[in-house]
Amino acid sequence: MWKLFASDLKMLARNRQSLFWVLFFPLMFTFIFGLFFGKNTNLGTIAVINKSDSQIATGLVSALNQSNIFKIQSEDNLNTARDEIKKSTISAVVYIPSKFGNLPVDPAKQVEIIYDPGSQLYSSLSGVVGQYLTAVNYQIQNSKPIFSTVLEPVNNRKLTYFDFVLAGVLGLAIMNSSIIGIGVNLAKYREDKILKRITTTPVKSWKFILAEVLSRLVVNFLQIVIILLVGKYLFDAHIYGNVFIIVPVALVGAFLFQSIGFIVASFSKTADAAQGMAQAIAIPMMFLAGVFFPIDSLPKWLYTAVQYLPLAPLLRILRGVMLDGSSPFLVPKNSIILVSWIIVALLISIYKFKLSDE
Amino acid sequence: MAKVISVKNLTKKYGSLIAVNSVSFDVERGEIFGLLGENGAGKTTTLEMIEGLRKPTSGEIAVLDCDIVKHRDAVKERIGVQLQSSAYYQFLTLKEILDLFASFYLKHVSAIELLKMVELESKAKSLIGSLSGGQKQRFSIIASLVNDPEVVFLDEPTTGLDPIARRNLWDLITEIKNKGKTIILTTHYMEEAEILCDRVAIMDSGKILVMDETYKLIKKAEFPFSISFIDKKLAQKVIDELKQFSEVENVFGKESKYTLKIKNQKNMNEALKIIQSINPESLTVGRATLEDLFIELTGKSIGE
Repeated sequence: MWKLFASDLKMLARNRQSLFWVLFFPLMFTFIFGLFFGKNTNLGTIAVINKSDSQIATGLVSALNQSNIFKIQSEDNLNTARDEIKKSTISAVVYIPSKFGNLPVDPAKQVEIIYDPGSQLYSSLSGVVGQYLTAVNYQIQNSKPIFSTVLEPVNNRKLTYFDFVLAGVLGLAIMNSSIIGIGVNLAKYREDKILKRITTTPVKSWKFILAEVLSRLVVNFLQIVIILLVGKYLFDAHIYGNVFIIVPVALVGAFLFQSIGFIVASFSKTADAAQGMAQAIAIPMMFLAGVFFPIDSLPKWLYTAVQYLPLAPLLRILRGVMLDGSSPFLVPKNSIILVSWIIVALLISIYKFKLSDE
Repeated sequence: MAKVISVKNLTKKYGSLIAVNSVSFDVERGEIFGLLGENGAGKTTTLEMIEGLRKPTSGEIAVLDCDIVKHRDAVKERIGVQLQSSAYYQFLTLKEILDLFASFYLKHVSAIELLKMVELESKAKSLIGSLSGGQKQRFSIIASLVNDPEVVFLDEPTTGLDPIARRNLWDLITEIKNKGKTIILTTHYMEEAEILCDRVAIMDSGKILVMDETYKLIKKAEFPFSISFIDKKLAQKVIDELKQFSEVENVFGKESKYTLKIKNQKNMNEALKIIQSINPESLTVGRATLEDLFIELTGKSIGE
């Protein structure tokens, strides 16, 4: 059995296609989202043209600089800046005309924001500029705002969208590598008659399957650790949960997806068929179970259904643990859905997956 | 001689299809036993029931004096199986594959010894993908020897190989036999069965049509002797004379080439006298082949 286990690990390490799904694919997502939303996040580049030397104008420029939401590029000529928007090298221009804020005599009163409607950043930009100008207006009129908002976060933890996505990518990684990995690999073994060849030997089927499962769990373990390390140390992800809880929870998920992988292998005659079937399961789940965005923003009828997808409760539990440091059993419903899926998938795979045709 | 395999009234049905229909035979220790027949004749199904891979619908199979259905794992320890067109792990080296398969058994043979047997020891660290078709097939045969089995099952070991690779495999199979192992193989090459097998059973539509020692089987043919010759202006009178002693056939539409199928030695001598008198361009005197017998028995030709 251990010889099988060792051989399985060796093969996993030598199989480039499976390495792609196991490591490259999830790491690619980690890097993409990390670069967009990890540390030093900014929404895009803007050009600031300041023709005025007033205090109010310089104040606005430094407010924009300090906001840390945009990358700022200084520019002299409005027309060159407009061209750059068209070329998509920048997303917006803030134009401060000469004499702007030149109090007390005859000031220019308007700051111009020229933006690319395709970019999402203009709302934040006009927010920052608007807020600054409102403050200036109050000061000049010597009045104080009457109504205001108080922001109170549930806790003092700093969380970013990247933290949300990192948990999703973790779930995505173990789902893909298990469903596609097990499904395609075993279907290929069947197609090549390797499974049948195994049944000509006295080795017990359960040993063969156990070796397969254990070797994959080792790979899943490495996957999880690498993704967490990359997320934390390369992109400053905030992980509040205990790693000794996160890893076992993820491995429970891996076990569920492995069972689904065995089901895929049972129902497909060729490796190509298994590839198709596995992706038909994994790709919709990737979007509908909340890897990249919270699924409660979906229409209610759809949300009611997709919250029960196998990946969905796993991600809710993982996020609870990773982002809040809460117990994996905090929401019983999630645990119940997850365990039910494991039981169902395990039963079907035990009943359906056979090494031999008879 | 001791019986190594004993099959009695073996039947396998798939729904209304009878793949194997009440087949009985014995295989003796140390012999090469051949199951011959076309694709779909039931050879592989028969073999796989004996190997314990398929459950018989009815009938009895004893391998090495054990009932295969009851003592499957005990039997599997002592047999070696090469499946028809089976592949091996593509990401393990030859030596790793042999070591892995050896680990499934109580009894092991050294992987390097096996590789040496088929001159693949230099490829011990190569992946299976780097082998030629003949090398793959040789490897697949030695992979069935990792447990030093008493009985070796080879399912169409030479199908799809070029003539030299086939001859190579025949040598290998003979070498295995000389090590005292019993071999049961299937093939649809008649000449292969003639060269390799001590005894042959010809199967068609799930039944064994005939079974005997190979040379005796050929004698059983209705026309055990044959004469072929080429003569471009053969007179009808000569043909009529020849027809007294033999069946005269034109071979495959070549008008000047004739084959005589002859029932006995006496007729053959008479026919030869006539042919020698016309002094043909080319003359071949031979025995019937298993192929002739097969065509006679099944009324069709191989590969039809």
